[in-house]
Amino acid sequence: MNDATYLIYIISFVLGSIVGLVLSYRKYTAPYVTKNIDIIALAVSIIGWMLVINSHLITFIPVYLNITIGIFLVAMVLGMRPGYGRYETVIGFIIAAVVWIGTVLV
Amino acid sequence: MNLMLNILLNVFIAFFIGSILIGLQRKIMARIQGRPGPPVIQHLLHTLKFFIKESAFPKTAAMPFYVAITAMLFVIWVAAVIDGPVTEGSLLLIFAIYTIQKIGEHNAGSSSGSPYGKMSCVRAVYSAAAEVPLFAVLIIIYLKAGTMNISSIINYQSIHGPLLFTIPLAAIMFFVLILSKSQYSPFAITKGKDIVSGYETEHFGLLRGYLMISESIAWYMLLWVFLTVFLGPLSLPAYLIGMVVLSAIVAFINAVTPILNPNHSVMMQVSFAFIGIAGSIVLLMI
Repeated sequence: MNDATYLIYIISFVLGSIVGLVLSYRKYTAPYVTKNIDIIALAVSIIGWMLVINSHLITFIPVYLNITIGIFLVAMVLGMRPGYGRYETVIGFIIAAVVWIGTVLV
Repeated sequence: MNLMLNILLNVFIAFFIGSILIGLQRKIMARIQGRPGPPVIQHLLHTLKFFIKESAFPKTAAMPFYVAITAMLFVIWVAAVIDGPVTEGSLLLIFAIYTIQKIGEHNAGSSSGSPYGKMSCVRAVYSAAAEVPLFAVLIIIYLKAGTMNISSIINYQSIHGPLLFTIPLAAIMFFVLILSKSQYSPFAITKGKDIVSGYETEHFGLLRGYLMISESIAWYMLLWVFLTVFLGPLSLPAYLIGMVVLSAIVAFINAVTPILNPNHSVMMQVSFAFIGIAGSIVLLMI
């Protein structure tokens, strides 16, 4: 991984966070809700984390592209307005991590 | 890679990572204090926002110094990036840049004409007396590794192991310096909220944007120096993890400690510096 790829990942994170922030402010009007889980955000988070952590499993796309898209999706959920997206992020990470551990063991 | 391109890449990386880490710090502090906190990219958005705001100039400002100081602060931290991640040059140069940063804080405060800025300017001189000796802890690295060249220090560590384990006191002292540069730390007397935003209070629009960019790059560079000179050769992901961990520790300390009285802040930092330098020399002699 060179500096340019690193910068692309960071920009992807920033853009994902901005998109997530804007969309979540449009979608939710309540200021701080901790208990609900948004199914769409959960799906985006799981796909994102899978692409970031298990990028080696998807061979038909270059790894750096997988990770860039994955970081964008992860940041979309992580960057949602305060009080939203936390459970979705954690669940997505856990599922991707379990899959990664599974692939390493197998 | 082309040198100019390399510099640009590293400056952008330093700016983005520094901004996100400052945002992360604010988020962690808020969660510890039971608040929702701002989004992690809040500091970055603030910085970018200032570039599209009107730049107003106070009547009391000492022109052109008031404008020039923001450019100077930006340029010195870009120079730090060139000396650090790009060329892995001399630690002495980064030490010099840090001392110029203190002069910059002083002059940014005094040139604005604001009473808050002037108070911050006095505190900048005051805190320089403590923070410069803390940075001087790096001399211990010279005594241990026999060089002040960053690439040579990295080579030394790849052979002899990380300096964090051989000169831990120096590492702790440098961490105190990092702590004192963070925004809500107990030692952040130049930007304490008792004086609004300190030396930045009367800088608006574009000028504030440049100040915030230099702040982000400065944070990245201090963490980079710490990780490089105390933990040795690291990959880019390892740098990122190290920076996140250090920022989280700093956030935890900031969240649970109040800002100190300037006298106490300086005396505590000087005491840390003395313990760090004297203790490390004793440890080296044993």
